[in-house]
Amino acid sequence: MTAANGTVLEAHDVHKAYGRHRVLNGAELEVQAGQLVAVVGENGAGKSTLLRILAGTLAADRGEVRIAGTLGYCPQDPVVNDNLTVGQHLRYFASAQRLASLRRAGELMDMLRFGQFKDQAAGALSGGTRQKLNLTLALLHDPDVLLLDEPYQGFDWETYLRFWDVACDLRARGKAVVIITHLVFEQDRFDVLADLADGRLTRHDTPAKDRHGST
Amino acid sequence: MAVPDLARRQPTVPQPAFRQFPTAWRFALRNQARNRLAALLLVVFVPLWYLLMQAIAGHKPLTFRLFSTGQVFTVDGGHLTLISAGLNSVTMIVGFGIFAAIRRTLAFDKRLVFAGFRQATLIAAKTCAIAVIAVAVACYTAMVLLAFWRPGAGGWLAIWAGFTVMALTYGAFGLLLGVLVKGDLEGFFLIVMGGLMDTFLQNPLGNPLANKPILEWFPSFGPMQFAVGGAFGHQALWGHLALGLAWAAGFAASGLIIFQLKTRTRRHTT
Repeated sequence: MTAANGTVLEAHDVHKAYGRHRVLNGAELEVQAGQLVAVVGENGAGKSTLLRILAGTLAADRGEVRIAGTLGYCPQDPVVNDNLTVGQHLRYFASAQRLASLRRAGELMDMLRFGQFKDQAAGALSGGTRQKLNLTLALLHDPDVLLLDEPYQGFDWETYLRFWDVACDLRARGKAVVIITHLVFEQDRFDVLADLADGRLTRHDTPAKDRHGST
Repeated sequence: MAVPDLARRQPTVPQPAFRQFPTAWRFALRNQARNRLAALLLVVFVPLWYLLMQAIAGHKPLTFRLFSTGQVFTVDGGHLTLISAGLNSVTMIVGFGIFAAIRRTLAFDKRLVFAGFRQATLIAAKTCAIAVIAVAVACYTAMVLLAFWRPGAGGWLAIWAGFTVMALTYGAFGLLLGVLVKGDLEGFFLIVMGGLMDTFLQNPLGNPLANKPILEWFPSFGPMQFAVGGAFGHQALWGHLALGLAWAAGFAASGLIIFQLKTRTRRHTT
């Protein structure tokens, strides 16, 4: 369900502290359908904390988050089960999402080129392939809103470019994608840069916003 | 290479929720069964432990009063020690195996719940998997016992039942520790020390004060009384077996409540 103005993710006045250390101090974010948003900031600025709060895996001390539609979340460190194969992961998460088929999983495995590891246990995968699986699990149900925490860690250049093919396709189909990134050179791929500093987000539009016609 | 046509949607008919159970059950069992160290312990440690404990205890006659009935028995001390050793083996192997499997998959389970897996289904699947593993380990341990002592069919069944309840209790204890403690070391220490103290104190050969009422409050009290009563007194002390099951249920309920709390998510979606 999308709001009348196209907003699919809205975070208002989000606060979070770990003990005396205040990480988020009234962070605000609004993302519309079809937007690619980068959350940038220094190490320890609270980017992952913000994303976890948006996803609902961490409670904020104060504030409100609203998401319209289905949600996918890719955590920074791969959360997989070393004893299960890639194929078993896909079946397990398809069951969680109550999907009728694994067609989308097959498409993603083809795109990210790790179909040959389908029968291999996650514990035996390389770091990059674990990350591919981690990302695929978040995308499996083709969610309306995607929250990705440094999703291309460990990817080779070819896979990194393929990741952007996937991201651009999602944007073209009206999905909202929020990505935590450190890479300065890729920032013009995004519609919006949200700079997290002192617990607050400052929004900057990018040239890509005009190219892709986002509002 | 061109991007595949991702706009083709999957069939929109969702799978019913009950279909999640067979998947969760199959993978939970597989996850438990993949612990190679626990399997190695089972194959090597159980017979070795029996052998060592019997060698240490010898075959001296031992007179003791069964706490639950007040009957006085004079039995082969080595046989009583074998029961105690078997109980001790299952506490460590099942407790360690379940603890390791639960602890290592807690974040994964949380992700599954986040993705839409029903917590109740995951909990039911885990409970069933733990029960199957516990019963299998207890069966194996009771079978290996026959290589050292043939107590007769009724006695063996009582020992097997005692081992099974003990395995369920420490499986549930492993579950509780798996969702509660932060490090592997703390969990292993609590299981090993807890299991050793619990079972050692119930054996009158090792503990001359094994008739003290305080031992009633230990998890192995019920299974030990049931196994010993069946093996030496030819009686079935069902109440004591139920007491052991109550410990298992208590540990399991506590662990599953914490599991439920730790895997819940706060969905903001509308």
